[in-house]
Amino acid sequence: MMDALDPTPDRGGPAQPLLAVKGLVKHFPLKGGLLGRTQAVVRAVDDVEFDVVKGETLGIVGESGCGKSTTARLLMRLLEPNAGTMIFDGEAVGENVQAGGITLREYRRQVQMVFQDSYASLNPRLPIEETIAFAPRIHGLSADESVTRARELLAAVGLAPESFARRYPHELSGGQRQRINIARALALRPKLVILDEPVSALDKSVEAQVLNLLVDLKAEFGLTYVFISHDLNVVQYISDRVLVMYLGEVAEMGPVGAIYDRPAHPYTRALLDSRPSMDPAKRRTKPPLTGDPPNPVNPPSGCRFRTRCGHAEEVCAARKPLMADLGGGHIVSCHMATPGSGHSQAGSLAA
Amino acid sequence: MSAALKTNAPPLVKLRDLHVTFKTRDRTVHAVNGVDLDLAAGEVLCILGESGSGKSVTLRALMKLLPKFAQIKGGIEVNGRDVNAMSNSQLADFRGGEVAMIFQEPMTALDPVFTVGRQIAETVQRHEGVSRATADARALELLELVQIPSAKRRLAAYPHELSGGLRQRAMIAVALACRPKLLLADEPTTALDATVQIQVLLLLRELQEKLDMGVIFVTHDLGVAGEIADKVAVMYAGRVVEEGPVSGLMAGPLHPYAQGLLGATVHPGMRGKRLTTIPGAPPMLDVAPTTCAFSPRCEYAEAACTAGVPALVEASPGRFARCVRVPKGV
Ligand SMILES: Nc1ncnc2c1ncn2[C@@H]1O[C@H](COP(=O)(O)OP(=O)(O)O)[C@@H](O)[C@H]1O
Ligand SMILES: Nc1ncnc2c1ncn2[C@@H]1O[C@H](COP(=O)(O)OP(=O)(O)O)[C@@H](O)[C@H]1O
Ligand code: SF4
Ligand code: SF4
Ligand SMILES: [Mg+2]
Ligand SMILES: [Mg+2]
Repeated sequence: MMDALDPTPDRGGPAQPLLAVKGLVKHFPLKGGLLGRTQAVVRAVDDVEFDVVKGETLGIVGESGCGKSTTARLLMRLLEPNAGTMIFDGEAVGENVQAGGITLREYRRQVQMVFQDSYASLNPRLPIEETIAFAPRIHGLSADESVTRARELLAAVGLAPESFARRYPHELSGGQRQRINIARALALRPKLVILDEPVSALDKSVEAQVLNLLVDLKAEFGLTYVFISHDLNVVQYISDRVLVMYLGEVAEMGPVGAIYDRPAHPYTRALLDSRPSMDPAKRRTKPPLTGDPPNPVNPPSGCRFRTRCGHAEEVCAARKPLMADLGGGHIVSCHMATPGSGHSQAGSLAA
Repeated sequence: MSAALKTNAPPLVKLRDLHVTFKTRDRTVHAVNGVDLDLAAGEVLCILGESGSGKSVTLRALMKLLPKFAQIKGGIEVNGRDVNAMSNSQLADFRGGEVAMIFQEPMTALDPVFTVGRQIAETVQRHEGVSRATADARALELLELVQIPSAKRRLAAYPHELSGGLRQRAMIAVALACRPKLLLADEPTTALDATVQIQVLLLLRELQEKLDMGVIFVTHDLGVAGEIADKVAVMYAGRVVEEGPVSGLMAGPLHPYAQGLLGATVHPGMRGKRLTTIPGAPPMLDVAPTTCAFSPRCEYAEAACTAGVPALVEASPGRFARCVRVPKGV
């Protein structure tokens, strides 16, 4: 019999998405008033659909509040979605096994997460080797085997087990703690790792170390990543495909080259043009957008970006744009990309 | 040292051999270990470095904003005045008058219980002794200056009623209330989203030019420095290890630490390439470094690097580095 903690073999072959998400919705009620009634709804994630391809790194970018972390927690099933389906390597997540589903317990072994705050996600009272060994032991590995695995992983993330195994989280730097979090996430031999702003709190030189490490581990353990960040340069560096989120929705998605070289959505273009130029002789002269992102409590009607979009027309307020296919897996939600949408520049973006 | 001294105009800021040490019962931190900096009127200097390198402490020393137990040595002159020798009442006039500071977190500088308009008017009245009506008119002007939409309505807003970007602008308006000659900015755009960060950066650049302010802008982000700095000082372990015009630094840093930092900063065009990293971590600073503080991490380290603290030498006109491998230019 196979060891319960060996990596599970691939099921549906390379063409079957590792994770297929459809119609994913998460609304948070905002309660208030004397009776604690729901006053409003935060539309944090609103009808999101995407695939995670086996072996890829899917980057998710967008400004704060656009729903990236909520998406991550939904993918981890740390939050129950209001609607939507998730299919993991052909099996419906959380459905019963007789009907071809995968239990949440088994799913959570195969999908792991690393958070931005390296400290909050470690138990301050446990030596780090025990933190890493904890999950394997819960999942049935013996105490000795679990510790052996923890030490192997410490070595794999570049922390010599002999000097680090017995240390406590507060004795480590932020970069070292993030390495521990990565080791812990790999302890159950997952297939998919969701990284929510994993390098955002780190200094640049440490960020580079952790990014190199993530690239190495992906190859070594055959991992698939969902990499969430607000840093466009980091996402470009690490991702094979990129999903751009705006106010709880997918604005644009495609191969990293298409998104960065031929961005189609006005929001994606604005995001890219907001990056510092890295050349003092070619400084930015005009901010691409004015104002802050609006609140997801009362998102604008139609296209949610219309309140900041320089191309907005009547149709943008009247109707939500369809997802247009620009070819090569590049899709965009903008009326300018759909011929006949009623926008004066409709079809100007079409493939 | 830098351009400011070569002309006859007195520098706006003249920092000489600044040392700041924090001694508490539990531990000692040698946060700043001999910093010299000059800033000319109307010039923008970015202090660039990783966390703990002493950027904020250096900035706060310029306004005497460090805690009482901090041991401060060295010369701190702003606008020709010795900051260390100022009395409390002189400091009260100086802060918010000649010099103002903005922060990463606007609520550090804004009072939650007063409206934005009141806070600006208050500052103006306190420093300039003008009438309430004049101060109120000035508050409106300032909100317009920092490009807050519907400025008139926003005068009556409390800080928490504003979005992140507007709150940042309101803090800038308070800082500029008395037209300071020197603006100290401690990572004011670090917590902002990309599309808001660029708005605030461009606003600060525009205001700096319009008001001809000297600015010292602390950042850990090379890209931010590239957008706003005239010159950059790179700090490591409480010392400036490289200083010079921003273009030269970004095109080809001289100091191995600055080179490492540039190589480790992810920017477009690096896809598929392995990122350069700097092994190890900065020193603890429980003792002041007596060698090149970067030597334990430097791939070029040699005996000369640990013989003493390398001197800051002028490698080419206006460009300085503190490294034994960087020769003095002619
Ligand atoms: N538990 C919660 N209750 C209420 N609102 C929430 C909760 N979690 C997130 N939100 C809101 O949902 C929106 C999306 O948040 P989040 O997913 O954290 O965005 P991001 O990670 O992109 O910054 C935000 O407006 C946030 O305030
Ligand atoms: N009030 C203080 N008391 C004790 N140590 C301090 C204090 N302020 C700063 N330090 C220490 O001084 C060093 C430099 O800090 P700082 O100038 O804030 O660094 P940064 O370059 O990140 O802005 C750090 O080691 C920090 O912990
Ligand atoms: S649909 Fe309209 S408002 Fe939305 S991005 Fe396209 S042009 Fe702009
Ligand atoms: S002085 Fe020596 S150790 Fe220090 S940066 Fe230069 S070469 Fe490296
Ligand atoms: Mg988040
Ligand atoms: Mg600081």
